Amino acid sequence: MPEPQQPERPEQPQQPQQPERPEQPRPPERPYVPGGDHAAVDGAVAATGIGGAMAFAVDEGKPLGQQPAPDGTGQEEARSLWSDAWRDLRRNPVFLLSALVILFLVVIAIWPSLIASGNPLHCELAKAQDGAESGHPFGYNGQGCDVYTRTVHGARTSVTVGICATLGVALLGSVLGGLAGFFGGAWDAVLSRITDIFFAIPVVLGGLVLLSVITSNTVWPVIGFIVLLGWPQISRIARGSVITAKQHDYVQAARALGASPARILLRHIAPNAVAPVIVVATIALGTYIALEATLSFLGVGLKPPSVSWGIDISAAAPYIRNAPHALLWPSAALAVTVLAFIMLGDAVRDALDPKLR
Amino acid sequence: MAEPVLEVGGLVKHYPLTQGVLFRKQVGAVRAVDGVDFTLLKGETLGIVGESGCGKSTLARLLVQLERPTQGTIRYRGEDITGLSGRALKAVRRDIQMVFQDPYTSLNPRMTVGDIVGEPYEIHPEAAPKGDRRRRVRELLEVVGLNPEHVNRYPHQFSGGQRQRIGIARGLALRPGIIVADEPVSALDVSVQAQVINLMERLQDEFDLSYVFIAHDLSVVRHISDRVGVMYLGKIVEIGTETEIYDHPTHPYTQALLSAVPVPDPEAREHRDRIILSGDVPSPTDIPSGCRFRTRCWKARERCALEVPPLAVPEEFRTATGPAAHDSACHFAEERRVVPPEQSAG
Amino acid sequence: MLLEVRDLHVEFRTRDGVAHAVNGVDYSVAAGQTLAVLGESGSGKSVTAQAIMGILDMPPGRITGGEVLFHGRDLLKLKEEERRKIRGAGMAMIFQDALSALNPVLTVGDQLGEMFTVHRGTSRKEARARAIELMDRVRIPAAAQRVRDYPHQFSGGMRQRIMIAMALALEPSLIIADEPTTALDVTVQAQVMDLLAELQREYDMGLVLITHDLGVVADVADRIAVMYAGRIIETAPVHDIYKAPAHPYTRGLLESVPRLDQKGQELYAIKGLPPSLLDIPSGCAFHPRCPMARDVCRTDVPPLYEVPGDRRSACHFWRECLDG
Repeated sequence: MPEPQQPERPEQPQQPQQPERPEQPRPPERPYVPGGDHAAVDGAVAATGIGGAMAFAVDEGKPLGQQPAPDGTGQEEARSLWSDAWRDLRRNPVFLLSALVILFLVVIAIWPSLIASGNPLHCELAKAQDGAESGHPFGYNGQGCDVYTRTVHGARTSVTVGICATLGVALLGSVLGGLAGFFGGAWDAVLSRITDIFFAIPVVLGGLVLLSVITSNTVWPVIGFIVLLGWPQISRIARGSVITAKQHDYVQAARALGASPARILLRHIAPNAVAPVIVVATIALGTYIALEATLSFLGVGLKPPSVSWGIDISAAAPYIRNAPHALLWPSAALAVTVLAFIMLGDAVRDALDPKLR
Repeated sequence: MAEPVLEVGGLVKHYPLTQGVLFRKQVGAVRAVDGVDFTLLKGETLGIVGESGCGKSTLARLLVQLERPTQGTIRYRGEDITGLSGRALKAVRRDIQMVFQDPYTSLNPRMTVGDIVGEPYEIHPEAAPKGDRRRRVRELLEVVGLNPEHVNRYPHQFSGGQRQRIGIARGLALRPGIIVADEPVSALDVSVQAQVINLMERLQDEFDLSYVFIAHDLSVVRHISDRVGVMYLGKIVEIGTETEIYDHPTHPYTQALLSAVPVPDPEAREHRDRIILSGDVPSPTDIPSGCRFRTRCWKARERCALEVPPLAVPEEFRTATGPAAHDSACHFAEERRVVPPEQSAG
Repeated sequence: MLLEVRDLHVEFRTRDGVAHAVNGVDYSVAAGQTLAVLGESGSGKSVTAQAIMGILDMPPGRITGGEVLFHGRDLLKLKEEERRKIRGAGMAMIFQDALSALNPVLTVGDQLGEMFTVHRGTSRKEARARAIELMDRVRIPAAAQRVRDYPHQFSGGMRQRIMIAMALALEPSLIIADEPTTALDVTVQAQVMDLLAELQREYDMGLVLITHDLGVVADVADRIAVMYAGRIIETAPVHDIYKAPAHPYTRGLLESVPRLDQKGQELYAIKGLPPSLLDIPSGCAFHPRCPMARDVCRTDVPPLYEVPGDRRSACHFWRECLDG
């Protein structure tokens, strides 16, 4: 951006009648600790931010630089964003809880028989829509199948679709969007038009057309379809936040030091641009699980011998008055899963922001 | 006389203005830097002053190779560095470093201070052996007056002045010969500003640095500079030693600029020679013909619209030897003292 | 007295605790007088102004004590509706950043005219005419044409003139200008300050000029109030304070500014940093940075001592400081 143009940009975000308040307290930035008394430089030496003091206080009592090592190598561990983030996460109850839930989900997705020994395809029509009874805590669904067994076995499909589709979308979207935002120019223009085209495809209609030609009854075509339609959303967000991060002076400073584009992108831009991607991706995870359900309901996703929460939710919908439990349990499982991932995303995002420590 | 370390000749940076979506057509150019010449001597501080939009920040970015000039040359120790790329450019970057204006955006908020100050060594591994880097980072922090124990902290845990010190430590890491500082103290409070200015002066002696010090605050520039160049709309209009510019200005723009600076002395306000310029700075896309200052100049005559005044000692002073005889791009240069001579010390 | 602030206290609730932004501020302004409130960032000078205007964000802000007397009435006891009537018509504010203080999607004519249609109920046509008149007043060239332009089409100096026009629209008796020229270049800054001073004389208004720039203060102010850590630490007529400050902080500030008229040696630098508002030092808030500090400064909060010559200083040792 050529310097002289700056005053003339009409599109700058502005808040009418909202004066800037440069004076409101900025506590962590104006620290003071008495005790420094060497002219000119002392305050800078002695000052300890409020945040800083706390960061040190919780710092596992390591003798941080207590004795500066004479040989200069230092025993003290040099910290980085990632090690600090991990240290932070390990102590975050939100993270621990959501990680436990996700771990549990992954375990039962791999070995459902650990907690549900029955056969999810075994149904007794005579017991259709019956409530809970001993050995069948969640009751029976409209076909007389055991809801507990089906919910546990459904985790495999749903969790696979959710995780794989989200990972695929996030990777593809942030790589393409990030590169477009970083390098700009013609590729950026082409990519932006392509994302616009993908945004124009109606999800359900596109699914009906594309998936109807596929005969395989595994989750992979569904995941592929979701990634195909989902990446533009992340790509647009990643592009925007990369462009924002790129304009900061620290990126210029790195360039002036002679840093390579790869280094600038990975070390300076990516950590500062990843937060919105994490938030949107974890929220999208829930919608992907629901999308698989929708597609299955329409007959183009998974076909009935497969078990998934989506199939069960849509199958239970007609009986909601007589057998709400058949709808409740798979829906609850879906809700808990989505919530766990959103909480995980929030915790990771916060851990990557040193200002929040 | 000290040897020149940086020679800038005919430096031009134009940003094209384009129209059209598919077929872009150039409809004009922002002439941000429009023919700048100067020489920086070893160990000296060259101050560049000017108002916003005069191209001084673009000049800074050109000097540290963040932008490529449209025309002109930058010679570092006699070698033209404008066309360099790859390894040769990287080597030059070791010697010319920059300190930025805004201490809040010039440090990556997600890197520790140790990583920020140590990054130059990762980019230029030959500058320091791996085992030695940690020690050097701590040393640098100490040099700029920060506690070396704070290597594991993040930028937001420091105040504005401390962050500017971190930025300076990063700039010093590769032991450059030249530091280009773009408004390094304008974002700081008065009491902290003095600390950072003193630090920069101390470091200059300690590390034998040459500074290009770019700022809009004329008092700060006078304090720190040996020589001063005054920029207006992409060109230097007057350049000379600090005394020549401040006590013997001959260009009307310099005189207006100096007379407008509020002096912290209420006694001065009655008997000051204030020149109030009319109008605003013209747009850099549409620079007036001839002398670019003529649209706001009270002396402008026909000649000013036709002939571009060269940056040289004006005819009137060519035979003189006094401090008024310095480079000034004005057809009708005359000395006019606008800064009242110091009355009482302190 | 036009405006009297008495023992004003404001605090902010933040994530890290309660920040004491304003801790007992007293100042007063008479009609036709310019009071400069000088302070560094975080000194509470803008928060005080916002509390006077009644535009403080509450929460997180909270006024915990004091009075703001405007024409003798305590504004803090008024209902929001009554205060709104005073804002604009009785007192007006000029902000630092004119670009963000003006609405980008309305023409400047509409924004100026709005003052008249809303407060005075004038017709749109009449309001437009008054807007042009105002723009003439603040010397915007070709006002009749430019009244239809949007804020971004004006230069920084012109936008600040529009802000001044807006503040003047209803002819208030008090103007609070918060760093009105900080964002402007020196040559433009001189134009705007001159205009402001001239209009103040013409309308006989009181002006509270909030700034950190010692030069601007010396140029226009009648009185100065210096703030530090949410308190006024010295107040005096402008000539006296530059000649002989009665508080070591003021002295330090004056000495740490580089001078235009001399090439100095090393600058005097006040050591240390301004205090955190979350944790203001005991006794005199300035004592950790003060070269004159003694034991009593650590324990006793200095009152605003009366100093001869209509001055006040919150320093236990103001006599010594005055003597240099």
